[in-house]
Amino acid sequence: MTVAAQSVPLVPSRRPALGPVGWLGLALLAALTLTAFFAPVLSPHNPEETVGDPFQAPSRAHPLGTNDIGQDILSELIYGARISLTIGFLAAGIAVGIGTTVGIVAGFLGGWADAALMRIVDLVLVIPFLPLMILLAAYLGPSYWNIIIVIGVLVWARPARVVRSQVLSVKSLDYVEAALALGSRSARVMLRHILPAVLPLALAQFILAASNAILIEASLSFLGLGDPTAKSWGSVLYYAQVRNAFLSGAWLWWVVPPGLLITAATLGFAFTGFALEAYLNPRVRRGV
Amino acid sequence: MWRFFAGRGAQYLLVLGLTVTLNFALPRMMPGSPMVFLAGEDVGFLEPQQRAQLYALYGLDQPQWRQFLTYLGNLARGELGYSFQRGRPIAAMIGERLPYTLLLVGLALVLATLIGAALGALAAWRRGGSFDLGTLGVAMLFESVPSFWLGMILIAVFAAGLKWFPIFGAVTAGAALSGWALVVDRARHLALPLATLTLITIPGTYLIMRYSMLAVLGEQYIATARAKGLAERVVLRRHAVRNALLPVATVFMLNLGFIASGATVTETVFSYPGIGRLLYEAVLNRDYPVLQGTFFIITVSVIAANILADLAYPFIDPRVRRR
Repeated sequence: MTVAAQSVPLVPSRRPALGPVGWLGLALLAALTLTAFFAPVLSPHNPEETVGDPFQAPSRAHPLGTNDIGQDILSELIYGARISLTIGFLAAGIAVGIGTTVGIVAGFLGGWADAALMRIVDLVLVIPFLPLMILLAAYLGPSYWNIIIVIGVLVWARPARVVRSQVLSVKSLDYVEAALALGSRSARVMLRHILPAVLPLALAQFILAASNAILIEASLSFLGLGDPTAKSWGSVLYYAQVRNAFLSGAWLWWVVPPGLLITAATLGFAFTGFALEAYLNPRVRRGV
Repeated sequence: MWRFFAGRGAQYLLVLGLTVTLNFALPRMMPGSPMVFLAGEDVGFLEPQQRAQLYALYGLDQPQWRQFLTYLGNLARGELGYSFQRGRPIAAMIGERLPYTLLLVGLALVLATLIGAALGALAAWRRGGSFDLGTLGVAMLFESVPSFWLGMILIAVFAAGLKWFPIFGAVTAGAALSGWALVVDRARHLALPLATLTLITIPGTYLIMRYSMLAVLGEQYIATARAKGLAERVVLRRHAVRNALLPVATVFMLNLGFIASGATVTETVFSYPGIGRLLYEAVLNRDYPVLQGTFFIITVSVIAANILADLAYPFIDPRVRRR
């Protein structure tokens, strides 16, 4: 598959502004990141400690009540921001690292290497990923790092595709051809000339992958495959489900808030990612 | 076209091969006896006779490559192994659950595609209007909502709160229903899981349809259609929507893998006795043979659905036929 060398300017003369969607996304992310960072200051109790009677309704001491073993739910959620966001960032880092490497190598080398790598990308996209993750998580055991690695290794296909298509248009630019004509080795050209050109797009992909990773982590934790020593928003919901919180009034303070936080984090990443993608690459503007 | 199908076929075979190899290798790579992973954690309680049966079934006393061949042979004969925890063959357990998942997933996919395409077409038609911006916002929101959480909220409001729908299962336990009453009972059990799965699947279709419509509406044949005085509705229906639907067909395929994941979580929340719930139960009980069998069947189903979609594509898009 060869894409004709299009003379699409990589840097448009006038960039569109980030737009309200992008700013909303950034604001959500900033709020959640600050919460995670200042968790010890913000949370009223230690989330790992039994600080009251179990199954309490919200009160002045426990604004979101207590869980099945008397831990303060608000504190659990504030500390949960740390776990959920870290897993999102690290898994997305692995995914985009693999994706960018594959995308650059495939797009730059072309030929059979491109064909083979893109076949693998298509292949990964066909696999039902959550069942596969459940299988792997069940065998490897529930641990923080296993979850990060498993998500990272399975989410790289989309970034690889996007980066590759960008590489195809960068490859034919004058400065790359000049570098090759001067006798630079392929590896050097990829590292020095191609990588910097696709890095902004890779950043947008990183943010979108992080949004994906947070949702997946929540699903795994909800199925009881999360790390029992690292409480994320998903695992708070797991205990709420196991204790049937949604059958009593407790769902209002035990089920609703963690779900809203997961949604806020996912939306924050998604909005930022989409806006950034549109900002960096006018060709993918979605009319948002 | 034949080259296209050959390429696709090779790719699906590869996915299948990968799944099978993973299923074969995982229990044997883990520390400790593979017996634990092949028979489940109750292996210690097995009768010597059952043990011998297991050894024979998996060929555990033979070299690895022979074991792999035995394993492939078993799969080819539909022999997925035996759950010692439940005391039942796995193929029978899966066969029992499969109809529930097919019903749930099939209906959700059709509903989501119809609703998503209709909303997307309308939104693009009124680009920038309040309908467009409103649906776009809601679609982004539902794409970010965890499906299991949506299910829990629906249960809390409509089942536990308003008592319009039952809380779990696929039929009322212990009720001897027949005929119309049985159909109604099943439909009431299906309603909430179906709503959950449909709601989280709509945004993908909606976004693609909207995007594709925007592109089509910029084409010259749309301007021509308008210029020759066709009513707006006719332009929309006959010229715009038909052409914009093509990418939706592609998303339909991609959705198959996505919805298999969504179904796993949704069935778990509603205790709906499908394949996804079986996978979850297997994880809970550390019933590894069932875990593997279920994963294998899910992969095979997704591949089968992909093949169907590939075969249908030339009928949807005549241009593919000529290639």
